[in-house]
Amino acid sequence: MQLLHLALKNVLRSRHRTWVTIAAMAFAGCIMIFYASLLQGWLRSMERNAVDMETGELQIHAPGFRQDPDLYNVIVDAKSVIKQASAAGFICAGRLLGSGLAAADENSTGVSIRGIDPAADDLVTRLHDHVQAGRWLSQKENNGVVIGSKLATILAVRPGSELVLVGQAADGSMANDLYTVRGVLKSVSQEVDRGGLFMTAAAFRAFFVLPAGVHEIVLRRTLRSEPLTVATARLRALFPDLEVKNWRQLQPTLARLLDLSNVSLIILLLITYAAVGMLTLNAMLMGVFERIPEFGVMKALGFSGSRLFGLIVLETVAQVAIGATLALVTGVPLSLYFSVHPLDFSFLLRGSSTIAGIAFEPQWYCEVTRYSVILPVLFLFGAALTAIIYPAVKAAMIRPVAAIHHR
Amino acid sequence: MQLNKMAWRTLARNKRRSLITSFSVAFGILLAVTFTGSGDYSYTSMIDTSAVMGFGHVSVEAAGYNDRPGLARRLTEAGGVRKTALGLPRVAGAYVRIMGQAMFATGAKSVGGVFMAVDPQLEKPLHNFFLRSIVEGRLFDDTNGRGAVVGAGMAVKLNLRLGKKVIVTVTDKNGQLTSELTRVCGIFKTGDDSVDSGMVLLPLGRMRQVLNYGPDDATLVAVYVNDLRQVKRVRTLLAAKLDHKANLEVLPWQETQPDLAGLIAVDRLFNYLLQFLVGLVIAAGILNTMLMSVLERTREFGIMMAVGMTPRQVVGLVLIESFWLGVLGLLLGVILTTPWFIYMSRVGIDLSRHIGQDYSAGGVLVDPVMKLRLYRESALVILLSAFGLTMAAGVYPAIRAGRTMPVESLKET
Amino acid sequence: MKRLAFLFFFLVLTGLVAEPLFAQTSDSDRARAILQKIDDLWRSTSSVAKLKMVVKTEHYTRTLVLDSWTKGKEKSLVRIVSPLKEAGTVSLKNGNAMYTYLPKTDRVIRLTSGMMMGSWMGSHFTNDDLVKESRLADDYNPEITYEGRRDGRKIIRLTLLPKPDAPVVWGKIVTTVRAEDYLPLVSLYYNEDMVLARTLTFSDIREMGGRKLPVVLRMVPADKPGEYTELTYESIRFGVPLRDSRFSLLQLRRR
Repeated sequence: MQLLHLALKNVLRSRHRTWVTIAAMAFAGCIMIFYASLLQGWLRSMERNAVDMETGELQIHAPGFRQDPDLYNVIVDAKSVIKQASAAGFICAGRLLGSGLAAADENSTGVSIRGIDPAADDLVTRLHDHVQAGRWLSQKENNGVVIGSKLATILAVRPGSELVLVGQAADGSMANDLYTVRGVLKSVSQEVDRGGLFMTAAAFRAFFVLPAGVHEIVLRRTLRSEPLTVATARLRALFPDLEVKNWRQLQPTLARLLDLSNVSLIILLLITYAAVGMLTLNAMLMGVFERIPEFGVMKALGFSGSRLFGLIVLETVAQVAIGATLALVTGVPLSLYFSVHPLDFSFLLRGSSTIAGIAFEPQWYCEVTRYSVILPVLFLFGAALTAIIYPAVKAAMIRPVAAIHHR
Repeated sequence: MQLNKMAWRTLARNKRRSLITSFSVAFGILLAVTFTGSGDYSYTSMIDTSAVMGFGHVSVEAAGYNDRPGLARRLTEAGGVRKTALGLPRVAGAYVRIMGQAMFATGAKSVGGVFMAVDPQLEKPLHNFFLRSIVEGRLFDDTNGRGAVVGAGMAVKLNLRLGKKVIVTVTDKNGQLTSELTRVCGIFKTGDDSVDSGMVLLPLGRMRQVLNYGPDDATLVAVYVNDLRQVKRVRTLLAAKLDHKANLEVLPWQETQPDLAGLIAVDRLFNYLLQFLVGLVIAAGILNTMLMSVLERTREFGIMMAVGMTPRQVVGLVLIESFWLGVLGLLLGVILTTPWFIYMSRVGIDLSRHIGQDYSAGGVLVDPVMKLRLYRESALVILLSAFGLTMAAGVYPAIRAGRTMPVESLKET
Repeated sequence: MKRLAFLFFFLVLTGLVAEPLFAQTSDSDRARAILQKIDDLWRSTSSVAKLKMVVKTEHYTRTLVLDSWTKGKEKSLVRIVSPLKEAGTVSLKNGNAMYTYLPKTDRVIRLTSGMMMGSWMGSHFTNDDLVKESRLADDYNPEITYEGRRDGRKIIRLTLLPKPDAPVVWGKIVTTVRAEDYLPLVSLYYNEDMVLARTLTFSDIREMGGRKLPVVLRMVPADKPGEYTELTYESIRFGVPLRDSRFSLLQLRRR
């Protein structure tokens, strides 16, 4: 107790250099919190763009549909499947998939047509807020379609333009109809960019003469904490006759890319931590070394080596505590600010782009999580305490006379 | 001169502190080299890989082809363009190519894809990724022949083997549909699924006939440079030499691969931001040391000023100390970084354990080995900024020292 | 020379030249002549026909009534008469270009290479089949591989092997014709691995448009034996004068 009192007194006596050390630590902590939050946000947005954008966390298909996307291979009792999955804790949206030809004036190209129910789909994916020009689908407007960004270039259309769709309907007839481009998406994925055409499920059914069933059910966990594999297994058990796959199984390349990205970001984080560790180490090391003459005096006055060691540790803890508090007070609000107002690099990108199937947005948000706050603080303590072990031991062992003349 | 000596003396007097400080500068250099180096390495390899997939570092195309590629838009006198490009300094290669959409069919099935018509006499594996990736058979040798080199994925889809026929259907320059018989003479595997299942190499001469092109027509001339930093210069030079020929465009890779350029621009910025943050932390460390050293020498400065040193000289003294700390840091940095850099640029860290063998980013294969590559410019920037940072960190402590009140400081302690 | 040959076969086909003429020619000439006959059976300098097309698949059965016009080898135009929903849809082939006119949207769509393997009007024929329909003699070398009786009928079997450079996907086509008048009975299409891919049968041989010809054609894909597309000629007239403008894009909408 007496030791703690002494330690606090020493720290609060507030010599300049103590405060300088504390300030340095606070700064380092603040940067670490901001940095970790930024990386968390980056990782999360990568994953979100890869998964929530269009794929969804999980998908259900009729067996064989993914190998051979046959218009007739539908999930017949879609309503009951959706009902059961919802009861099991998933948010679901049914989709209809077909292919056809889109033409506008002289230009034409093959498209993959997706019929979706905007009300349900908007809860599962984020396509709806990824519109670059015009507006997203509306339940009320069945002749409005939303198309991928490159498709818009290929067909030379804009919101408001008309386009003709041609395809083969389920009854064998030549499906063809006139639609209005309602919106153009930002970059979503290569596939969607080049050939994605979205319409309402009702419009799809009318076009393809397909009265019932859906081709795909996209799902999202309501409980994010449940591991994806567990959720997949649960769904699979629920629907043994259907093909249930999570996004990692649906897009293995993408999953691997994200993994690589995680690994390299963690490496970067470690490097930054190492730099902070150096700084803390440096500050603490010097702080203790410079005071060795002082410790020598204390020792001469009868302080035992172990008490002296304890004192130094306590002083360090007190300093780090103040530094960490300052770091929290500055770093958390800073990160929170950037979690609302993103760092915007859109001047570097023409619109949005897609890399390896991940929509790439030039706005970076911080994401403040437990890890991004607690880990830097713990690290600060760890680094400081590691740093002082050697000088503290040295101070504790030193002979008083030598210490007083120590330089 | 006197100040210089004094500064040295101070640094020498507290060897440990000087060493720790210059070590943090050195560490900063190490970090910066690692960050910048991994960026330079991966950007270079991504750009090179995407360039060898068809368009080159600089691409000469018919006007408008880049925005709306179509076989109707073609370059006449492609051979001349190629010769001009080859005549420029820093150009490593130039190739006449036709790239376009086609339908590939066998009795089993048919799939849509992209073809790249090349002249087998000119193409080199160095500048053609598919040539490098041939796993079975080889490139056709007759430009007017019927050879085709298909991707492994397409071979599976269409049930193809060497010697089997593939019917290529294209819309020719007049909009007429034409079909041509080709036979598989090679199969390549890049590891990128979309390329492996959608790309076919065809003989240039044959495709010219099929497309109704003239004997010197092509959709593009892909130009490769020795060094990526030369792209801008080569492009400008080439554009200047070709400008009497209307109706063509000379485009750098940034315009033919805008997605990649965007990715790199953003990633580079992110990289710089991180480096800046790390630099700030290190600068704070240096500031911390310098400030401590100054605060603790208040008495010393007081005496100096009492014996006639001007505040300006005191400021100078501290700045010179930072200068030498910086120099020391640079030296230490170079000593520390060189072996690391050499190891990382030759061997690197293999991340494939974490991610599996091959994968692609944006249609461009990326090496799963983290390696470093540093351009001379980048190295210079790092050294200068490390030095600048040290100097900047010394400014506040120096001013602080200059403000010492001689008499008061003597009273202290 | 080519024109003369064409004229010659034209005469043969229209029955102005007596049959024994074939007997004097060599086997390979005969094979060639048979192939030409099949190629030109439903066309002439020009033709106007009305057909019924029944498409039966696992998922639907549909019946279409079509009007068709052809001129020479290069031009053909098919228009849907019924069902009402699709009436007025036109498919135009002019040389190697193919167009579809859709009355519902009043648009003409030019088919690009990517669509060639798509189904033609919901049938088992692809657009590519239509573009290449008249080129058997151009793309294949016929050879008589069997001559004799089958099921009490005298037949000749031709094996068509693609010319080395012909842009066709098939490995071979085996066509059986009646020995007496060379009218086709069945054609088997094999892929390059010599696995049967589709069967085209010809039946109901009768007089129509001044010619004797099978008026029912049925195509069965080998991988879906329960499905078929059946074309039945209800009437056909040959040598009707048709203007080129009938096959022009401008005319598509005016029908």
